[in-house]
Parts: sequence; structure tokens; C-alpha cells
Amino acid sequence: MKTTRRKFLSSSGAATAAVGFPSIIPSSALGNADKPAPSNRIVMGGIGIGNMGRGDHGAFLGKNDVQYVAVCDARKGAMNQAKAKTDAKYGNKDCKTYADYRDILSRDDIDAVHIATPDHWHAQMIIDSCRHGKDVFCQKPESLTLGEGSLMVETAKRYGRVVSGGSQRVLQDYRGTVLRCWNGSFGKINSINVNVGPMSQPCNLPPENQPDDIDWEMWLGPAPWAPYNSKRCSGSYSTSGNSWRSYIDYSGGGMTDWGAHHFGGATFAVDVRELQPNKVVLDEKDGKKFVSLKYSNGIEITHNKPGVGQMHVGRDNVQREGKEVPKYAGSGGISGDFIDCVKTRNKPFRHIDYAINSMAVPHLATIAYKLNRSLEWDSAKQQFVNDAEADRLRNRARREPWQI
Amino acid sequence: MLDQAFEALKTYKWGVDPKAIKAIQDAVVATHGDTASRKELESKLAAVLATDVPRAAKDSVCRFLKTIGTAHSVEALAKLLHDAELSHMARHALQTNNAPEAVKALVGAIEKAPKKIKIGIISSLGARGTDVPIAPLAKALEDKDPEISNAGALALGAIGSSEAVKALAGAKATDENKIAVCDAMFQCAENMLNHGKKSEAKAIYSTVLKIGPTKAAKIAADLGVKACA
Repeated sequence: MKTTRRKFLSSSGAATAAVGFPSIIPSSALGNADKPAPSNRIVMGGIGIGNMGRGDHGAFLGKNDVQYVAVCDARKGAMNQAKAKTDAKYGNKDCKTYADYRDILSRDDIDAVHIATPDHWHAQMIIDSCRHGKDVFCQKPESLTLGEGSLMVETAKRYGRVVSGGSQRVLQDYRGTVLRCWNGSFGKINSINVNVGPMSQPCNLPPENQPDDIDWEMWLGPAPWAPYNSKRCSGSYSTSGNSWRSYIDYSGGGMTDWGAHHFGGATFAVDVRELQPNKVVLDEKDGKKFVSLKYSNGIEITHNKPGVGQMHVGRDNVQREGKEVPKYAGSGGISGDFIDCVKTRNKPFRHIDYAINSMAVPHLATIAYKLNRSLEWDSAKQQFVNDAEADRLRNRARREPWQI
Repeated sequence: MLDQAFEALKTYKWGVDPKAIKAIQDAVVATHGDTASRKELESKLAAVLATDVPRAAKDSVCRFLKTIGTAHSVEALAKLLHDAELSHMARHALQTNNAPEAVKALVGAIEKAPKKIKIGIISSLGARGTDVPIAPLAKALEDKDPEISNAGALALGAIGSSEAVKALAGAKATDENKIAVCDAMFQCAENMLNHGKKSEAKAIYSTVLKIGPTKAAKIAADLGVKACA
């Protein structure tokens, strides 16, 4: 059943009544709002259930305190596979399938969703989820543009939602560097370097016959219309032209895809997760362009600085007082952290504020590279300083009828 | 190279290597600060939109004009606003065009636009945030079609001005537009709070609580009231 926007933004609970499920604890009995939960189970649905979504589905399905009830995907095959896995786990046929995520959000019995669609959908889905009172776990990179990042943060705060980004590598991949930064053994820290790329490219792939399996309109969503091509929508992790991760309309390329991990790790290591850079300096060394992103506290993150290693930390090595390294709440990694925070209403490890601040780094660097000049960024106003042209690249118009 | 790229636009169908028109993107960047060259480039791009080049070519032209468009290219883009295939990309360029003419073109296209396109135009006006007349958005808010009403509400929320609040507060909140209307009012209240206008913000949250908000909106309104304390 296709949900129209009329129905989607309706406040009636008709969708719940139509679905109905046995043996599921209603949302109102859980800790979704302001009441202590008599049960620890969080009722969840998944949106974008192939590739990374498959992994997230498995992670949440494996938790005793999660009751998984619905899946949604633009690809029928992936959706049906996830339903089968869910039903097998519970020994019933209760997991519902939806071609349109708005049908999941309209269900009052669902407390939280996880999102693992291509990046061009993230902002729309996170914001819509918050408006419908859902907590959200969203795969990285959480934002596709600078502009939508601040809207996501504002909406999550507005509705008091727990919204977690989905980079498990931020905490897990850079432990040695993070520890030495936080325990004071690196001394005063000046900079950290991230080597990652490439940026995404324009896509003009030829039309191919569209398989029956995919709802192409829903796959494209707010992105510009383009004909179906298997490489355009492939979930491959390649960023060299064989997947949506390669192309501007859906992704920032390796710069934001792996960049979400690396820049997330870098901002964590040097503890600037609550800040955004205020200067983006485009420089050149040995014939190679690179960017330095400078923070108001003097810290600098460099991108692809020639001759400097991945996650290399510039420091004085004079021992100073350390501080405790943040860690996940609950058990079961980043997905367990999210579930614990849904219950406690605490901020998750990759809270949306931190996720968006770290994603601002590759977005700002990308705009500097594209315009081939240095920029100044006013993070309070979320606009460039005296650069109306750069400001134009903060946002993109959404294809009708999508609006945030 | 640039001439070749413009020549390539004539046959730039889906499937042609984007490198064929890369020189235009390079020119977009290279002409920064060079008003005369920019105007010449913009004129050439706008002229392409009036020809029968393939859709992929016009899409790309709109992308280039997103960065460099001025009042000069508004007319060519405005002609595409009612085109079901090209309306979105025309908005892609117009939404960020600083010229007042761009707003005028978007507003002027609302009335006769088919529903889906109308929603898109309203959305783009909201996304501009400033220097947008409230009246056409308030009219959309009052539209009998809930999808258009929702679009008008969200656009007013994105603008967040006192005038937008007035329109939203005066609107009839129904089960079908309540989520959008409440969210829009929250955005307005946050805008007031950001400008130190606590009493105005509190009044907005109180209004939301009176219209019977959804459970999610009730939580948001309560949080808002606390923020006003």
C-alpha cells in the first residue's frame, strides 16, 4: 500500500489499527516518552535492509530487548529476505513488509527505526522519523549536505529523540591513537591528518531495463530523476563508478563514505566532536592540493596532506593530565549503545550532533576543493563568511514531493 | 575546450561520459570573481535551456547555473518550472539564486502548477528562508488538499518569521496537517528563542498545546516550554 503524504502527516492512529499484532508490547508501555518501561523490549522496524542494513537488522534482531516487527526496502528481494529472517527468529509470520517507509513511521506501536538507505535519503527519513516520535539509528554518513545536517540536529532536539549515527569504526578502529590523545601521553595536540577519497562524481550512466524487484521512484526519492542503471544503485562499497557511493546525487564518495569513519575517528581523537571548523584552507604541496580545517581552539584537521600518514597526530609529546575515554553504553557495540540510550534517554556515543559535526569536515573540504579556494565557515549561522557562492552549495533542492 | 563542451551538450544523452562537458564545470570555477566572463558563461548556459538538447544536457546546465546563476538566467529557468521532467532541476538552480527575480519566478509559477510541482516550488521557497513573501505560502497552507497544506506549513516553518507564525496560528489544524503545522510552529518558536524572544516562543508552544498535538508534538511542545523558562 502506498502512503500518500496526506496520510503520512495525518495524526490518526489508523495505520496501527490496520496492522495489529499479537504478543507485541505496545509502544505506550515502553520507555518511549516520559513513563518508565515495564518491559525492556524496544519495538523496532528497519528501513533500507540490504547491505549495511542487513548487518544492522541482524544486530538488532539478535538483541533480547528488541522486538523487531517491520521491514522496508525499495527492493522486494532484500525486504522479503529480511522478513523471512525476522519471522524465523520469532517463529511466527508477524513481521510486516513495506515498500514505503512512511507506513512504518505511521505505526504508533513502533518505538525506533534503523536506517541504512543510500545517503540521499538519510535526512528525509531521520527528520520524518523524529516528527513521528521515533528514535533513530542511522548508518553513516548521516548527511549528504551541510544544510540538511543542521536540520537533522534541530529536529532530533526538538522532539527529544535519541538519534545515533552508525559508524562503529569511530570507537573501534583508532583505539591506540584515541587512547594516547585522551590519556595525555601525546601532550598538547595541534593537528591530525586524514587520508581518504575520492570525492563523488557526476553520474550520466545509460538507461538499462529496470528489474521488477526495485521500486525506482522510491529508490531515487528526493534525488534528481535519472534512468535506472544497475551501477547507479548498486550497494557495492566501491567509490570508483560501480555503485551509488560514487555519485554526487547519492553520496559524497569515499570522502564521506569512508570519510565518516576517518573524520569521525579524527574528531573523536582530538576531541572536537562538539565543534565545527571555522576555516577551510586550500593549500598545495609537491603539486598536490590538500585542505586544512582549522578550529577555534587551535586544533587543525588536515586532509590528504602530502607526506603525512593516516591519523598522524601533531603533538608536543609532553605528558599532560588525561581524561576518561568515552565508551558505548550497554552491551553489543554501537547498536547496543543505541538501545541502551533509547531506554535511558541518554546521548548515544555517536549522537547526531557529534555525527553532523564530524560530517561537516568532509562536506566543507569538498566545497573548498570544488570551488578551488579557501573558505571561512560560521558554524553558529551555518553559513560561509562573505561567500554567497559557497553558500549555494550547502543545500540541494529536493525532487518533488519530498520536503524537510 | 569550452566550445567543445557546449557543442557536446547538443547530444548529451544519458550514457555520454560526463568528461565531455567537464570544461563547463571548470569554467564555472575559473570565472569566479570575473563578472564579465561569468555573465557570458551564464548567457550561453541559459540559451541552451531554450533549445531541444536532451534532458540530461538541460539537467547539467541547471546544475552549473546553481552555482553561477543571477537574475540573467532566471527567465530561462522559470520557463521550465511547469515542465514535469525539468521542474526539479530548474528549482535546483533557482532555489539558491540570490536574485529577487528568482523568488518572483517561483512565486509566479505556483498558481498554475500541477499539484506535485506546486509542492516542489513551495518547498524551494521555504528552503530559501528569507526574502520570501508569506502570502502565497499562507494560501497553500489553507489549501483543501492536505499535501499542499502540509507543504505550505513546512515552508512557513522554515521561514520562521512573525508573519509566518501569524499564518500558522490562524490556520485550521486538522488530523491531516497537524504534524506539519505543529512542526512549523516549533521551528518558528525556535527562531524566536534564538532571537531572545522567549515570551513569543512560549506563546507559540502554548498554541500548539491547545490544538491537540500528537504524542510526539506534545513532547516537543513541553520541551519547548521548558526552554522558554
